[in-house]
Order: sequence, then structure tokens, then C-alpha cells
Amino acid sequence: MLQQVPQLVLAGLTVGAGYALVALGIHIILRATRVINFAQGEFVIVGGLLAYTFVTFLHASVWLALAGATLAGFALGLFYERAVLRPAARAGELAATIATIGTVYVLLYGHALIWGSLPQPLPFFSGGERDAKWVIGGVEVAAQQVWVLALLALALLATYLFFDRTTYGKAIRAAANNPLGARLVGIDVDRARAVSVAIAVALAAFGGSIIGPITLVGGAAGVAIGIKGFVGAIVGGLESPVGCAAGGLLVGVIEKLLEGEFGYGIADPVVYSLLLAMLLVRPQGLFGLRGVVRD
Amino acid sequence: MSRRVASDKRLLPFLAAGVILFGLFAARDATLLQAGTYAAIYGIAAIGLSVLLGNVAQISIGQAGFFGIGAYALGFLTATVTWPAAVPAWLQYLLGTLTAVALATLLGLILGFIALRFRGHYLAMATLAFGLICVGVFRQSKALGGASGITGIPFPQFGAFAISGRASFWFVWLVAAAVALLTLNLLRGRTGRAFEAIRNDELAAETVGVPTRRYKIFAFAFAGALAGLAGSLYASYLGLVDPSAVGVSLSIDLLLMVVLGGAGGISGALLGATLVAVANIYGHDLENWRPVIYGILVIVVVIAFPRGLAGFLTRAFRSRATLALPDAAVAPLARAKIAAVDSWLRVEGASKRFGGLLAVDGVSFVLTTGTLTSLIGPNGAGKTTLFNAICGVGRVSSGRIFIADREVTEWRPHAIAALGVGRSFQNARLFADMTVLENVMAGAFPLEHSGFASDLLGLPQSRRSERFARERAADVLRLLGLERLASTPARDLAFGDRRRIELARAVASDPGLLLVDEPAAGLNANERSRLRDDLLALKASGKTLLLIEHDMRLVMDISDRVMVLRFGKLIADGTPGSVRNDPEVISAYLGTAS
Repeated sequence: MLQQVPQLVLAGLTVGAGYALVALGIHIILRATRVINFAQGEFVIVGGLLAYTFVTFLHASVWLALAGATLAGFALGLFYERAVLRPAARAGELAATIATIGTVYVLLYGHALIWGSLPQPLPFFSGGERDAKWVIGGVEVAAQQVWVLALLALALLATYLFFDRTTYGKAIRAAANNPLGARLVGIDVDRARAVSVAIAVALAAFGGSIIGPITLVGGAAGVAIGIKGFVGAIVGGLESPVGCAAGGLLVGVIEKLLEGEFGYGIADPVVYSLLLAMLLVRPQGLFGLRGVVRD
Repeated sequence: MSRRVASDKRLLPFLAAGVILFGLFAARDATLLQAGTYAAIYGIAAIGLSVLLGNVAQISIGQAGFFGIGAYALGFLTATVTWPAAVPAWLQYLLGTLTAVALATLLGLILGFIALRFRGHYLAMATLAFGLICVGVFRQSKALGGASGITGIPFPQFGAFAISGRASFWFVWLVAAAVALLTLNLLRGRTGRAFEAIRNDELAAETVGVPTRRYKIFAFAFAGALAGLAGSLYASYLGLVDPSAVGVSLSIDLLLMVVLGGAGGISGALLGATLVAVANIYGHDLENWRPVIYGILVIVVVIAFPRGLAGFLTRAFRSRATLALPDAAVAPLARAKIAAVDSWLRVEGASKRFGGLLAVDGVSFVLTTGTLTSLIGPNGAGKTTLFNAICGVGRVSSGRIFIADREVTEWRPHAIAALGVGRSFQNARLFADMTVLENVMAGAFPLEHSGFASDLLGLPQSRRSERFARERAADVLRLLGLERLASTPARDLAFGDRRRIELARAVASDPGLLLVDEPAAGLNANERSRLRDDLLALKASGKTLLLIEHDMRLVMDISDRVMVLRFGKLIADGTPGSVRNDPEVISAYLGTAS
């Protein structure tokens, strides 16, 4: 077992990348609209399937497919905000939460209608039928794992730079913090919300495209990815973007370690218990500050 | 009676007739019979969720967990366990069902207790986690059959007669009818009125004396119990249960039924369950289109038709009868158990700190019974903070508070209200969806005597309690000359009326101490003089009044005593005349002329 640990941690970080992007997306949508988007996991699958379509039917390169899926995710997010989240938010927070749950059904069974209910493979980013592998210090490292972690870092960096360093990113944060104040200084709050949701969905689609070659995309996998993304967000702290990303990775690692030690069946219930335990013991998350938990 | 209960009373006879006709004629077709049976089973679980979501505004995406607990408990006790031969089959079934409901209720209590810590989306996630953990446990437990679950669960058996096929249909609908009647009792009773108040405004509910935590926990336990009961019916009808049948998708299906049918009350839940059960069987050919359509329907319904199918049907034949006030009450308005004490309020060294700000700073005073005292001071002086501390909404950081000679420093607001403290808010927090009469009835909550059990069973006590609250509210409205507004929804009230109704609500429990926060703000001259008369009449009836007010003419006119708060400290305290001439007070209001 002990020799396995670094191997399992690496595998955990790889699946955790997907959870981290889901968690970050949940955070961004929550901050902008005060709604928890239960459909975030399904957007990962839709993104992965879009990339699969670009590669398989349009014969695009993987990189073009990644860019295409991310952009398509952005557009899908704009539509989602306008068609579902915005009108639902007017009917109240409870209604908005229920509408996102309805969206899970639409996406989950909707992509099965289009792509079938079996998961589809995405090609490895380094090309080839089989992925390149190296053994480093006894740990077997696949090229795709390196790609996943590098691209995750890139996505996180880009998100950080956008929200922290660009004027428009700051305007979006201002709109989220104080909508009335933002309106008074001339920020289009509705558009800021739409862009936030679009970015969150684009991140999910990006995540689906990069983990797709390892996990396959499609089927009912989105439900588990979505829920584990939540666990990550709660573990790290819903109100903290860094916490969400770190929490997602941590959940991936915990999951793989548990699977390695006790088998697949035990890992899931334990991870879900972690959600309830964190909510009870430290609802602000590992990275959140006390007192920031809003209703 | 709230709008939802009224809608149930109107729709349920039609539903019952529909079920009977369905059972007699349509059920010759085996598929249709199956759909009808599932409609009742899921309908029972949906009623519980509907009460939770629509009447108390608490979401749960974990109801499948309770359903699973009920199904597994019954399955385990009737199929896995070997009973001694002396125990007849009907007793095994009965014990199995009772255990199923008891276990689900217990877990509902626990989840309800946990849920108190969360609101909105945190609650959604906590309940989701609960459901997932339940399925995980079912899947892992060898005793419960692991991934393949429990099979060979017998039909409910009474003597030589096993309930299956057509008999199942009548049996589950009989149970559903019993559940519907009990739920209707509950919602018509004091419990239902407490739910309605909580749904409208939790804080206001608490300050009129509703123990909101207890009622919320009860609602979770009730919803859990019904889901557990439904699960046990499911297991014995189908003969088996496995983890995949009680997963997240069942939780979401139940939510969907409630939303489509209309959350709140019974008929919406039953309609939604029927709709989904029939669509599930007949829409089988649609395969994945079916859930996609459900999803789209849910989104459209929550956005455009928040009251669902039931709301739509109720609107189709609504009667607009105005409600008649009951005759003058038999019981006189004065409360017998009103404590005869010299002072209703004693504050000792109360301080309240918000971070670095000391909002209330070592305030002490005693109010003499039957007097009217005004608390004045510039904005931000800490007046409302002090009010909140007195009625338990925001506890003091240090110091002690006594109501009628009992220390209440650590008490929750509803307990303080029950001691005889009424309060109005600066921004008039009425229960917006309720009528004026219902608002004032809610104020009488602490005087009522009817618990969960008597409400659920519709005992005479529950009816008496409602009649009492109604008569009491009618009396108070008459006393304040507001009876013409009795059937007006609170959200349609004019501003000045809203203020007066809030005062009426606070008076309905016949409190010994009344805390009134800026009652004159925004009133016109006419309304002010009426307010003045009301306040003086209340004082004359022996109540102790503490008033926050900025209208100095009113304050100086009606107060026996005036206290001045500035930066959290009491800087003056005396008769209106002495306070008016106090140099420190003048400087606080006008600035010093140095």
C-alpha cells in the first residue's frame, strides 16, 4: 500500500482536476447569482462530448477541439444564464435551485439522446492510440496526466488573471458584491452575471475535454463528477476560489487513496460523508474565513 | 385557513372520485393498474416533501434516503429475518411497517436537527449528502444484500388473504387517503398556521412565539416518516428493493412530482405523483426524451407557474367569498395568567458588541408595570439593538435581562414571547401571504393549546384551539377598529394599515410588555392621532409599553418617562419635562453651542 501512495496521489490529482474546475465553476456562479448550480457536472460531460465530436466528426486536432469545446461552453453558459438562471432567480432562491436540478435532467438525458448513453473516448493529447508513460522514482506518469495538471494550472491562472487583473473582471466582481452600487457606477450587472456563468460553464467544458482521454466522456459520469465537485467546493470553502480548486484536488486524492485501500464501493460513501461532516464542522471550508458563510 | 388548505379542501373530493372511478373502470388494464398503484406510493412520499417544500420552505434532495430506509426495514424484517412460527404473517408485516416508519421518523428528526444549521443551498447539499450516504450504506451492507438488494419480500398478508394485483391498488390508495386526511388535519391546525408563519418570515414567526426550530425539525421528521411509509409499501408491492431504486434520481423524481403538481399541501403532491407515474409507464417508448421533457417542464413550472398544476386547477374554480368574522368571543380579552409583577422589564448592565463597535454600552433600567416609556436618541444610538436584545433576537454580549422577574438573557425569542412580550418591527414584518385575520391569529399562537399529535389526529382540542385563535384575532381587530381589513392579504395593505396590523398581531397574545419600534414613522396626521389613542388604550388596559420613536411631539405627549440613548449609553432618564430641558440631551440632538 505505502509504495502505492504517490501513484494514487497522482491519479487523484488527475481526476481531482475535473472536480476542481467544477468546484470553481460553482463558486463563480454562486458569487455572481447567489444560486448553487447543480448542473455543473453535466456541463463537464457536454464539454467532453463536444470535443469528441470535433475530433471524430470534424477531424479537428485535439487542441482545436479543446478550444472549440471551451468556446462552445462559453456560449452555452450565456444561453443557460439567459434562459434558465435569470428568470428562475426572479422566482426566488428555492425556485432557482430547483431549476438547476431540472437542468441536470435535461443535460444528462439530452446528451444521451445526441451521443448515446455509452461513454466515448477522446484521443490523448500527445497523439497516438496509447499514451506515453514514464517511470519517475517508481511512479508511473502518463503524458496525459501531465497535460491535465499543466492545463488545469493554465485554466486557474487565466481565471485568476481575468478576475483580478483586468478591469472587466474587477467590474464583474463588483457587480457580484454589490449589484446596486455597481449599477450606480455604470456596470451592466445582468451582463456581468451572464459572463460569469459563461466562464464557469466554459471551465467545466474545458475540464471535460482534458480529463476525457483518461476517464472517457458521457453516460451518467456527470452526476458523480458534479457531486464530487460540490464536496470539493465545501471542503475548500464555497466562498473561496482558491479553496474550491484546492478542495476539488483534495477530494480527488482522498477518493483514489480510499479506492486503493478499501476498494471502489467504500470510497464514494466516505467522500459523501465528508460533505456532510464538513458542512457540520466547518461550513466555511478549509480556506474560508469564519463568518463568511452566507445563507 | 390558508389558501393552500382551502385549495386542498376544494380539490381533494375530485381527486378521491377520480381514484375510485379509475379503480372501478380503468384498472382492468394491468399496466394502468400498475401506474395507479405507483401513483399512490410515490404520492405518499411526495405529500411529505410537499409540506416541507411548500408549507415550510425547506428543500430536501434526500427524500429517497428515507424511502430506502422504509423499504429496506420492511424487506429485512419480512424477508431476511426468520420469525418464530408463532408470529403470524400480518403481525410480521405490521411490525415491519411500524419499524420502517419509526426508523425514517428518527432519521428525519436527526436530519431536521442538522438542517437547522443551514439555509437555502447549503441545506440542499446537506440533504443531498444524506441521500447519497444512505444509498452507499445500502450498497455496502451485506445484511441488506449489497448491490442486489433484498428479494422475495412477501405481499402484505392478512390471514389467508395476500394483498396483490387489484387489491394492492385499493390498499395503497386507502393508506394514501389516510395520510391525506391526517396531513389535512395537521395543516388546518395550529401546526399548519405555524408552518405558514415560518414560510413567510422566520424571524417574525419566532417573535410572535412560534418555536421555529421545533416546527422545522417536526416538518423534516414528518416528511421522513411519509417517505419511509411509502418505501415500505413499495417494497411489499414490488417484492424487492435494491440500491438503484432508491438513489439520487428518486429524490429528484419526488422533487419533480411536487414541483409539477404544486408544492404545499396534498392535492399538488398527489397530482404530480399521478402525472409522473402514468407518464413513466406510458412514456416508456420515449426513453431518454421522457426525463428531458420532465427537466424542461420543471424549469418552466418553477419560473412561470410556481403553484403548479394544483394552483392552476384551484384558480379555475375559485370562489371569492369574503370571510365573515366570528361573533364576539366568549372569553374576555384580558388574560388571566398575566403575571402580576411590579416591573415587567429589568435590564442590568446590558452591552452589545459588534466587532469593534459597542452598540449598547452598560444600559440599566427598570420599567414599572402599566407605564409608557419612550426610548429616544439619534440614529445609530443602539435603540433597536437594545430591543433585539430584550426580545432574544440578538443576545447581549454582557449584562442580564429580566422579564416579569425571570432572567431571560439566554432565552430564545419564542420563549420570551410566550412569557408575554409583544413586539413590532421598524419595517413592519407582516406575513405577506396571509390575510390580516391570519396574521393576527398567528399573534395568538402562545395562548393556544394544541400539539402535533392533536393537530394530526384532528382532535377536538385542535378545532377548539383554532376557534379560540380566530375569535381572539377578531376581538383584537374590532378593538382597534380594523375589522374591515380582516380578509385582505397582508401584502395588499397600505403602509399605515400595515403598522396597525402589526400592532394588532403583537397585542393578540395579550402581552404584559409591548415593544413598539418607530410606530409613527411614515404615518399621516390622522393615522398618528389614531396611533396615539391605541397606545394610550393599551396602557390603560394595564400593559407596560416601551416605545422607540422620533416624533417628539408624540413622545412628549404620551410618555410617562423618557430615556435617551446616545452612542449606546443612557444619557438621560426622567419625565418628559425634565428630559426636554436636559442640556446633555439638547446637545445630543442639536449639537453643542460652545
